[in-house]
Amino acid sequence: MISVSQLTKKYNNVQVLNIEHLEIPKGQSFGLVGNNGAGKTTFFSLLLDLIQPSSGYINNNDVLVHESEAWKPFTSSFIDESFLIGYLTAEEYFYFIGELRNQNKADVDKLLSNFQDFFHDEILGKKKYLRDLSKGNQKKAGIVAALIGNPEVIILDEPFANLDPTTQIRLKQILKDLAEKQGVTILVSSHDLMHVTDVCERIVVLEKGDIVKDLQTSEATLKELEQHFSGQFMV
Amino acid sequence: MIRRFISMEWKQFFRASYFQKGLAIKILLVLAALYFGGIAILSGAGLFFILKKAIPEVDPIVTINNFLIFWILFEMLIRFFMQQLPVMNIKPLMIIPIKRNTVIHYLLGKTTLSFFNFLPLFFFLPFAIVLMTQGYPVTNVVCWFFSVMFLSLGLNYLNFLINKNNAVFYAIAGLLMILIGLEYFQIYNIIEPIGEGFNHLYKHPYLVIIPLVFMMGMYFLNYKYIKQGFYLDDAVSKKVKEVNATDLSWMDRFGSVAPFLKNDIKLIWRNVRPKQVMFMSFMFLFYGLIFYTQEIYREMPAFLAFASMFVTGGFLMTFGQLVPSWDSEYYKMLMSQNIPYKKYLESKWYLMVVAVAISFVLSTPYLYFGWEIFGMIAAGALFNVGLNSFITLFGGALNRVPIELNVKAKAFSNTNGFNPTQMLIALPKFLLPMLLFYIPYKLINFNAGLIILGLSGVLGLVFRNFFLNKIESIYQKGKYKTISAFSEKK
Repeated sequence: MISVSQLTKKYNNVQVLNIEHLEIPKGQSFGLVGNNGAGKTTFFSLLLDLIQPSSGYINNNDVLVHESEAWKPFTSSFIDESFLIGYLTAEEYFYFIGELRNQNKADVDKLLSNFQDFFHDEILGKKKYLRDLSKGNQKKAGIVAALIGNPEVIILDEPFANLDPTTQIRLKQILKDLAEKQGVTILVSSHDLMHVTDVCERIVVLEKGDIVKDLQTSEATLKELEQHFSGQFMV
Repeated sequence: MIRRFISMEWKQFFRASYFQKGLAIKILLVLAALYFGGIAILSGAGLFFILKKAIPEVDPIVTINNFLIFWILFEMLIRFFMQQLPVMNIKPLMIIPIKRNTVIHYLLGKTTLSFFNFLPLFFFLPFAIVLMTQGYPVTNVVCWFFSVMFLSLGLNYLNFLINKNNAVFYAIAGLLMILIGLEYFQIYNIIEPIGEGFNHLYKHPYLVIIPLVFMMGMYFLNYKYIKQGFYLDDAVSKKVKEVNATDLSWMDRFGSVAPFLKNDIKLIWRNVRPKQVMFMSFMFLFYGLIFYTQEIYREMPAFLAFASMFVTGGFLMTFGQLVPSWDSEYYKMLMSQNIPYKKYLESKWYLMVVAVAISFVLSTPYLYFGWEIFGMIAAGALFNVGLNSFITLFGGALNRVPIELNVKAKAFSNTNGFNPTQMLIALPKFLLPMLLFYIPYKLINFNAGLIILGLSGVLGLVFRNFFLNKIESIYQKGKYKTISAFSEKK
């Protein structure tokens, strides 16, 4: 689905990302972990063509991301709160995104009805603008908006941060289902090793822009990751 | 403690990102401040003589007093729209052992240094000095001067009390309209009784106590209000407004542009900053009054063409020049969503066209000045729709300043859209209508000028797709730059 080749990103001659080769097959749930400044958000921004690669390219379903816009109809994402339109209510925002993705009101309503318990009655019908919602609720709205319109690739940056435990568990289930049952390719980054190992079948560790580990998730993965990151700190 | 606060403010000011903008802008801003200050001083000093000459049978101070109520109401309106509540970072101070009173007094004291308080000072101080040199009794003049200053400061505090209340604004705006209407159509001479009140302030110096009490009362009310709200869940956190959702689904008939159009309407309706722009563009409607009433300009139709373009072009220019910036808060989302850029631009264009149409309808009272003037307004409107809209959108494409939607623009610290490129782009907006009118006017006649000016707009409409495509490609080219500029922290 997604293949990355010779991808680098430099800011003022400082290299912040350098991925020689990365292949993400369709329907994989892919986790990206790394400390602050490891290049997670940079990688996602490149995937969404929000910044320009210094060299190399990303190929998303046979579309060169930095050259064509044809990846947009089947790719959706939630990176941060700047993906929300603050002066809309959650419903209005969902319908807006729906209209952009050729979904009518009924389609969106149908999708939303699956997320009643995910919203925990705090998002819909509240007569509140998105800018007035709490950080966690904003995040919920943004994540669900990224699921509108049957995307084939979903990119979520730090989806678990700021969420309450109940929602974290629900979200993990939703993401797993999407990847396993519907064949959606899911890219997730997180600081929380446990969540990532729960959700993702494959985990890549970034360190200062380089891929240092590429693991198929198994029983031992969490231990290995914990060791990796604690080892760093002891040096 | 106060000293520490001041040093914090100092750092906040000099380390703010807008301060690190180009030197040219700073110089321009200083010049602008000097210009307005200078104008205030000069007109304040000259006013006495002007009034004496214009209305020799009435004492200038009486005339001034008669019009003082308008000054006050107008000042109130301007303050309501332009003056921001001072926000000190209260949150980190709440858990530190500083007396609340100190913080509040400091906060309120700080507002005294606002530009809006200096404007009346600059205006009335020279006037008062001239009065004294002209032999008016010193005590009376000084006390009257202080009365006016106290009133102005009182307004300063009153503004903060009513700032969150639109009803008060409409009440004041309505009152102003009624007063002007009553006076203009000479239905009831409302000015004199009120002016008489101000005259009393002048005649009986001890009455200065009334404005003083008014000001202190306002200060005290503010103090109480802030003190009450000195908790996280009140004043410090923003007020959460209940949504007023209107059904805009009738707009779906606009087809693929509809989602954006609906969004833009909500953008304007639900955010402070675009509302401010709406108000400003409403003011543009009155621009013609300055030009059409002067005999001098009657002889210079090129200037009239310029003014006519302004009458209907207010919204187009003030809103349009900030076009991608309005969506700066969520620009990243727009760029990664399934959005055809052209539809986005088209929606903004429709919005501007509708605004021109509405302004044009509202400008029908200008028929009073005759068909020639109205014809110019019509031609100007066509020019706006067909050419000016594209020039403005083009200028917007070069403008990469993020906007905080729900924060009022501050006078003189708002440098949005205030850069050399922007100014260069502004030139054709002004010069083009003048030239398009003036050349055929000189060569043939007045009507030819009108027709050419109008035709230029029609021509623009014919080539609409060409222009939109060109502008779109500029947007595409600047995409990465725009994204990174918009995501910069303010």
